[in-house]
Amino acid sequence: MSAWSAAAGAFVGTLALTTALRAASELSLTRMDLPFLLGTVVTINRIRAKAIGYLMHFLNGQIFGFVYFAVFLAIDHSGWWLGALFGLAHGLFAGTALVNILLPLVHPRMGSPLTSAPDVALLEPPGFLMRNYGPGTPVVTVLAHVGFGAIVGGFTALPA
Amino acid sequence: MREYAVIGDGRTAALVARDGSVDWLGLPDLDSPAVFGALLDAPGGGGFRLEPVVPYRTERRYLPGTNVLETTFLTHTGSVRVTDALTLHDDTALTPMRELLRRVDGLSGSVPLRWSVKPCFAYGTHRTRLARRAGVPVATAGSSALAVCAWDAGEPECHGGVISGRFELPQGRRAMIAMPFAEQEPLVLPARRECEARLDGTSAAWRSWVEGRLYTGRWHQAVMRSLLVLKLLVHAPSGAIAAAATTSLPEEIGGERNWDYRFSWVRDSAFTLAAFLRLGCPAEAHAYFWWLMHASQLTHPDLKVLYRLDGGHRTPERTLPWEGYRRSGPVRIGNAAAGQAQLDIYGELVQTAWLYAQAAGRLDADVARRLVELADLVCTRWRQPDSGIWEVRSTPRHFTQSKMMCWVALDRAADLARRGLIPDQHVDRWHAARDEITAFIETRCFSSARDSYVRAADGEDLDAAVLLGHLYGYGDERRIRSTITTLARYLRHGPYVDRYSGEDGLAGGEGAFLACSFWLAESLARTGRLPEAIELMDELVGLANDVGLYSEEIDPATGDFLGNLPQGLSHLALISAAGAITGASKDASR
Repeated sequence: MSAWSAAAGAFVGTLALTTALRAASELSLTRMDLPFLLGTVVTINRIRAKAIGYLMHFLNGQIFGFVYFAVFLAIDHSGWWLGALFGLAHGLFAGTALVNILLPLVHPRMGSPLTSAPDVALLEPPGFLMRNYGPGTPVVTVLAHVGFGAIVGGFTALPA
Repeated sequence: MREYAVIGDGRTAALVARDGSVDWLGLPDLDSPAVFGALLDAPGGGGFRLEPVVPYRTERRYLPGTNVLETTFLTHTGSVRVTDALTLHDDTALTPMRELLRRVDGLSGSVPLRWSVKPCFAYGTHRTRLARRAGVPVATAGSSALAVCAWDAGEPECHGGVISGRFELPQGRRAMIAMPFAEQEPLVLPARRECEARLDGTSAAWRSWVEGRLYTGRWHQAVMRSLLVLKLLVHAPSGAIAAAATTSLPEEIGGERNWDYRFSWVRDSAFTLAAFLRLGCPAEAHAYFWWLMHASQLTHPDLKVLYRLDGGHRTPERTLPWEGYRRSGPVRIGNAAAGQAQLDIYGELVQTAWLYAQAAGRLDADVARRLVELADLVCTRWRQPDSGIWEVRSTPRHFTQSKMMCWVALDRAADLARRGLIPDQHVDRWHAARDEITAFIETRCFSSARDSYVRAADGEDLDAAVLLGHLYGYGDERRIRSTITTLARYLRHGPYVDRYSGEDGLAGGEGAFLACSFWLAESLARTGRLPEAIELMDELVGLANDVGLYSEEIDPATGDFLGNLPQGLSHLALISAAGAITGASKDASR
């Protein structure tokens, strides 16, 4: 296990995850757009938001990749299947707590349970398991994260 | 139905009767199951009554520039004033998720009052448990809970699923009852001082929002009230706007035309955006447009007739075991119209984008691409029959207004392309299809015998909705003028205008459709018949109830409101007509 392989895995994993989510969006399986959600935290310019959001998304991918790496080190085990398991937990956490609860609290332009007139939020809140963005969203999100975890785990297990 | 006023907070809305009873309230959101449903089931629907024990009469108004309601009870022993609001969130205290506040001020003499809260969670399907927490009565069912905090309003008693109290209020004294609500979180039990501040803050927030809105014409009060109604129908977290605050208020007493209107209709989109832009509400216009684009993304390029406020498009229809308003069942939740084909909505959406592009000066690349695909879809689909703007439940037909709006879609798309706001590679195709639509309408949808555009191809029935084609720029000038004359002759009765003649697949009849009356007034103004337009508009403004609200329809025989209340489309049509007539008046006086 090496930090470099974990970083490479996180990069490739994020690439795959982002591609999967975008493809799901084009196939009308979900309306979720993680880079857009992240980018609008800092700007209301939609084009700029997407660009910044992609950067933030890849940065987050690296951070999560290293969190996985730290756990792999701690338990002295790694591999694609273990990474996939982490990805499953990660995906469920993202859909239930991270994006559903934490993001609306810190996102200045997203509706929360307390948003009321005369304010109008610009982004609808994702809801539990992000189902507000389409009923297929939970499945797509979890599978994409499982893929991310499997890639990170697989890369991390590569011989140095 | 005229006896109801509405209060709202941008998340939900409550109907308050003239006798002080809150008879409708969905929680936590406007489209959530009702906690108070006495409007649709007097014995079992639940409500929040607050009234003098002695005989009384009432006067009421909204606090100027707000959605805060003031009801004054006048009795032989004295008078009291009740101020009702669904409060707006503030950052000065830990606030309840939702909160209904009722403040009672003694104005003169001394008045004995009684109140009772009967919660009826999930349309009455969940059993309510009553308990006390920190001395406060709390009602719970599943993941929902509400409390009743009373100050100087008598000691609350819990009995038989009802929380109630009695008190006497002399001149100069004040009582307060707060009803906080929580869903999937702990209840917040507020302090009286916070409630007082929040009620005043809510009034101030509404007044602040209204300040600077841009209409100053003849019908200022009606337009501002309409704008405030629209604002409380806006789902604040996303910008979606509900068609109405209620479900299943009948279009005919005793009839079956009872529909759930707590969804957002694409049909209303262009009027909505135009109203917000016209009256200086760019934030609401921006939020609504983006919500519409997000909501329709999953079904693109198909459009659904209506979308839920959370952006979803599945609204399965079912009925509740409730007796209905004045025994007009069935009481429906969900709306099967979502599954219908309705071609006019493509025109509405492109017109909405066209208005937005005019205001913003640009369009997002994704939106531009989707508009091109929508226009392409219209080219292939306009020849199909549909259920039309009125969502008839009879066999699909070639409705004239649907074809007109397809024409609008292609005309606006071509204009956007000409301005460089959307790709222009298919413009020739759009022009060709637009001309084919024109030929179809002019040869098959105009009746020489009627001297009017008719309801559907090759027919003789009339439809006031063809006025929308005119308002969006379709039509031969002479034919439009004669159509207006014909519609006024056959569908208009005084200020009332029927939607259409002919069958629609449903039994029974309905009242006159208020939006059609406003469309007629606007059409009269746009074709130079200004005095008639002003006269009709004056009559229509006079048809509102005492606090300025409109339902969907009115019974011409009795003046009773029919259909869901308050109805966004009626208020949108009022704003549009008032703006157009005021503009035409200014042009005429130059």
